[in-house]
Amino acid sequence: MKTQSTKIERRIRLAGMLLIAGLLVELVTLRWSHPTAFLFFLLIGGALMALGIAIYLLSLVSAENKPSLE
Amino acid sequence: MTGNATILVAVILFSIVLIAWLVLRPSITATRGGKMLAFVALLIFPVLSGGMGVNRHIEHSKTTNFCLSCHVMEDYGKSLRVDDRSFVPATHFQYNLVPRDQACYTCHTDYTMYGDVSAKLRGLKHVYAYYLGRPSQPIKLYQPYNNRECLHCHLGARGFEESEAHTKDPQTLSRIKANQLSCSTTECHNIIHNVGQLKEATFWKEQAK
Repeated sequence: MKTQSTKIERRIRLAGMLLIAGLLVELVTLRWSHPTAFLFFLLIGGALMALGIAIYLLSLVSAENKPSLE
Repeated sequence: MTGNATILVAVILFSIVLIAWLVLRPSITATRGGKMLAFVALLIFPVLSGGMGVNRHIEHSKTTNFCLSCHVMEDYGKSLRVDDRSFVPATHFQYNLVPRDQACYTCHTDYTMYGDVSAKLRGLKHVYAYYLGRPSQPIKLYQPYNNRECLHCHLGARGFEESEAHTKDPQTLSRIKANQLSCSTTECHNIIHNVGQLKEATFWKEQAK
């Protein structure tokens, strides 16, 4: 059980860090009035957030599929 | 900062705080409440923040300041302040015939179902040309200016429908409306931005309110 939890926790931590980075990119680009800001938001912020969400969802799916060690 | 922007910043900051809590203490996701918190913090709030951010950026991309933030557009921005009523964009801008904060977008978007989308896709091409290509000098329109964009506002207006120049020949109005007689390339309203003439131009200075 402990191994399973640790793996999920690691994924949640990684997903969280990616999401925080994506949200910070969004926050910075909101204050910048230039077309490049829109591209940074979409390409960097969007990619970080999408990856973070994907890793979080993966952690849910992998937790469902693997039988509990209890 | 407008109300919507304040709400968006608040949502982003709140999301960051929630996510940071999970990053620091991921073990709380072992409980039912923790799982729900993770779902909200790692999925619902980021999707909400991202969606609101896209909307905010798209709305911001319609502003005159945004269009004029690129160096190549500087002269076109100046042409909005030429003190000469024969300059069509200057007259529209100075006499509030278009909203000043969205002057470029009002005339340079297609008033069609996917006009906004195609305008934004063209914008991405412009960013590519700005950094990796060479913007054409002078800047040219992709296609002849469609009367539809003028008629979006002028159609039905007394000044347009009853103008002597438009009614002298009974065919003129119907040809304009059918886009067979261009508003801008015929000799009627053909002084548009004309950035080549800016050196000799005088400029309108807005009075302080």
